[in-house]
Amino acid sequence: MKISNIILRASFYMSVGILLLGVSSPNLFAQDYQDTSDAREIAYKVYNRKAPSNGESDMTMTLINKKGGERVRSLHQFFIDLGEEERQIMFFTAPADVKNTSFMNFSYEEADRDDDQWLYLPALKKVKRISSSSKDNEFMGSDFTYEDMEKRSPERDVQTLLRSENFNGEEVWVIEATPIEEEQYTKRVVWVSKEKSLPLKMDFYDEDGELLKTLTIEKTAQIKGYWIITNQVMRNVQKNHKTVISLDNVQVENGTDESKFTQREMERGL
Amino acid sequence: MKKITNLVLNNSKLIISLLVLITLASLYSIKTNFALETNLDTYMPKSHPAFIYSDKAEEMFDIRDAIMIAIEDENGIYNESTFKKIKALTKEVQALEVVGDKDDVLSLYTADNIKGDDGGLEIEAFFKRIPKTVERFKEIEAGVVSNEMVHKRIVSEDGKATLIFTKIKENSFTEELYNQILEIAHKYEGDGVNIYVAGQPIVEGTMAILMPQDMKKMFPIVLLLIVVVLFLVLRSVQATIISMVVVIFSSIWTFGLMLAMGIPVYAPSSLIPVMLIAIGVADAIHMFSHLQLQIKNHSDWSKKKLIENMTSEMFMPVMITSVTTSVGFLSLLTSDIYPIKYFAAFTAFGVMAAMFLSLVLIPAAVNVLGLPKAPAARKEDEDHDIFTIRASKFAVAMVRHKKWVISATVLVLIFFGVGMSKVWINSSFLARFPDKNPLVQTDAFVNAHFLGTTTVNVILEATEIDAFKNPEVLKLMDKLAIDVEADNEAVGGGLSVVDFIKRMNKVLNEDRQDFYTIPQDRDLIAQYFLLYEMSGGSDRLWDVVSDDFKTANVQFQLKGDNSKGLNGTIDSIEEFKDDFAALGVDLNFAGSGYKVLVFNDLILIGQIKSLLYSFIIVILLLSLMFKSFKIGLIGTIPVFITTIISFGILGWLNIPLETTTALISSIAIGIGIDYAVHFIDRYKINALLTNDKEITMKKTMAHSGRAISFNAIVVILGFLVLTFSAFKPNVALGAIVSLNMLTSFIGTVTVMFIVLVVGNLYIKSNK
Repeated sequence: MKISNIILRASFYMSVGILLLGVSSPNLFAQDYQDTSDAREIAYKVYNRKAPSNGESDMTMTLINKKGGERVRSLHQFFIDLGEEERQIMFFTAPADVKNTSFMNFSYEEADRDDDQWLYLPALKKVKRISSSSKDNEFMGSDFTYEDMEKRSPERDVQTLLRSENFNGEEVWVIEATPIEEEQYTKRVVWVSKEKSLPLKMDFYDEDGELLKTLTIEKTAQIKGYWIITNQVMRNVQKNHKTVISLDNVQVENGTDESKFTQREMERGL
Repeated sequence: MKKITNLVLNNSKLIISLLVLITLASLYSIKTNFALETNLDTYMPKSHPAFIYSDKAEEMFDIRDAIMIAIEDENGIYNESTFKKIKALTKEVQALEVVGDKDDVLSLYTADNIKGDDGGLEIEAFFKRIPKTVERFKEIEAGVVSNEMVHKRIVSEDGKATLIFTKIKENSFTEELYNQILEIAHKYEGDGVNIYVAGQPIVEGTMAILMPQDMKKMFPIVLLLIVVVLFLVLRSVQATIISMVVVIFSSIWTFGLMLAMGIPVYAPSSLIPVMLIAIGVADAIHMFSHLQLQIKNHSDWSKKKLIENMTSEMFMPVMITSVTTSVGFLSLLTSDIYPIKYFAAFTAFGVMAAMFLSLVLIPAAVNVLGLPKAPAARKEDEDHDIFTIRASKFAVAMVRHKKWVISATVLVLIFFGVGMSKVWINSSFLARFPDKNPLVQTDAFVNAHFLGTTTVNVILEATEIDAFKNPEVLKLMDKLAIDVEADNEAVGGGLSVVDFIKRMNKVLNEDRQDFYTIPQDRDLIAQYFLLYEMSGGSDRLWDVVSDDFKTANVQFQLKGDNSKGLNGTIDSIEEFKDDFAALGVDLNFAGSGYKVLVFNDLILIGQIKSLLYSFIIVILLLSLMFKSFKIGLIGTIPVFITTIISFGILGWLNIPLETTTALISSIAIGIGIDYAVHFIDRYKINALLTNDKEITMKKTMAHSGRAISFNAIVVILGFLVLTFSAFKPNVALGAIVSLNMLTSFIGTVTVMFIVLVVGNLYIKSNK
């Protein structure tokens, strides 16, 4: 259900949390919303932005524990957006002991329909279906939970525009979003670039109202007119643990089609 | 001494006021600085290599002792009402201030159920919402029973009890917390449901709290008893009051100084007042006993002369006995444990303070208040005093039957010497509580139904990353777990990364038991872990292996913290050291179970060291005082016998040596030697005065024998009161000190006396 989103959404769309951004030409919304104080509207415009319909990239996921010890996983991934359904497949290239392990995810627009997920283990030569996991669970041992990668409808939150400010040289809106129902986070605070309509930073607060995690966007790139986040860091400030996700060799709208997303492809490998 | 006495006699009131002033200042210091240290962690020597290593490993794997709450339902736990209780109790504990992370609470409600699903892996809770149907409960029960990582660990084998493990933040155990948890737990009792609260944090925390509390209760009783005995012995209200003032002042000075120096009261320090009262009173007894005797014998002497005679004659023995007693305590400074060092240093200070007060306050007070009443002297003549007659007869009998006495002593020594070899050491905290204490009972319940309340962590460290994906290493770990559990009755079970692998291998192969093994393929193992992480497996995996798979933690759960079980387990684990080394893996230990063992070893090694030191120093001191090495050796005869008998009794009665028991033996040397000092001193004075062996024998036995028997009675009774304590170490303390004083006393007036007489010491050979 959400695993795809970590790469697909988190990376390509900068989907994290409330604001799903990513596509669109740079100045499309910036102009219109530069002076607005309607937080909900900002969230909506971001949520409704157009995303590339397919693509692929290399991905490196680095998990860094509190002592600075690193675990690096390298993958190559493909994605396709079929409108009502998004598909994604990724192949591990390192470390060696999980090389050629592949993971596939189908996620559906339809409400209440869980994602379908499969994992191919080359040592077993078998595709294993992964049962839907809780949204609160961490993805692949990283600091991202499945929910962090999920496309999140602005309807689920109450937004407040806290202020406008200059953030690392960019003009931003700072928006606070509080979920209407009880969820894993009690609050998110997002810094949205006025120019790119991209979130540049996001704070997550735990059920005690204490800061739990901070996401920062370290690098973005404009590819075929889409804003792509190519490097982001999620820091769990309570566990002193962080995860860096970076993308290389990004291609979008490169003709990746449905035939790539099958169990046979998982077994075949790259 | 004469000058000092004159000074005291000329300025008695001023000196008394000064002493009272110091006492008031000390009281003020106690009032403003009082702090009780109940956190056992602060007792551990942080710089010891074993502790440094363990602390490092504890941080790496988040090793913390858990508070265990057991929920018992006589009809089985798989029903709606009990599940509601499990869930509610878990949530309530999670909300506690001392629980940092919700994951720190492990129960059937929060545990991961790793299971197969549709050919894939599923990791989820056993239940989230309370099941509504009997079928669903049956399903959960079947899931629990077939899950090797949960069955017996979280749910008892008979399905009638389940545990909630709670790791609390470091150093956060307080009495309030314990009461709070008990309160929470008791809310859920009833309808055939019983709740038990156990676990090492509770045992340790309660112990550190109980010991000073127990002392607080015992102190007034000891005080009262000493007052009564003092009065019976001295037959003078005035002398009794002055003696009590001496020991109470010395206690106040000691605590005042300690707290003013910023040192809190550790559990052992709570023994100081009782120690000082029982020991310090000895000086006063000897002083008054001498004074009263002289009043009787020399009715013509003036008050000044009597006081001068008292201080000049008693100065040496009082000083020497105080110094030897202090040395007994100071020998404990060799210990690595700071609370013991503090206890030793400040008790030694207190003993010296009591000496100073005896030598200064007693003369001053007597000078101001007048001479005390002498004990009802029905017979004018010393020679017709009942005690004197009996003492003389006893002395003669001793010498006449010296062969019998010596042979009997040798037999006793052999008998108890054999017993000594049977002495064993127990570092168990739980063994110190009375059997009826709820803690002992809940601990027994948890141990009977689950894997055990004490944890030993085996830390395996490889040189390369991913070592714990290597099937060879994992198979050896599996063998370690299986063998250690099979060979040690105390071991209830283990948990390691191997259990995760075996479990995954089984559930991914249609739950077939023959797949409950470690796969041969290293890559498959790596891929299982990836699958685990992808399937939402929790961080609990990282409690048993580091995320680079370079270090692993094997947790063994033991039924109780008994040292025999702990040592046996550690020995059988260590047998694997070489096998692991051959695979490039280092084997070490961590965790509280192990630390307590090391801690106690340290105490005991320190103990043996200080025992030796105190013997040597006492011999030297005595030799110096009496200017004869021979006397130094003779003087230690009683304490030597005492030590042998003391350990021999522990051995024969199968009473384990533990921190408190061990501490006392070197203290006992310091106290026990006093009798010998007084006795030899008096013997010497009489011998030089009369140069008549017969008279010297009788006089010494009558004069010194009186004082030391009074002294022995007071100390023995004072410490015997402690045997009524609820706290086993205090009972042991009371019993052993009493016993040691008794044997020291008997040893002094029998064997040592005989050796003294037969050795013709201080008697010129003209007779």
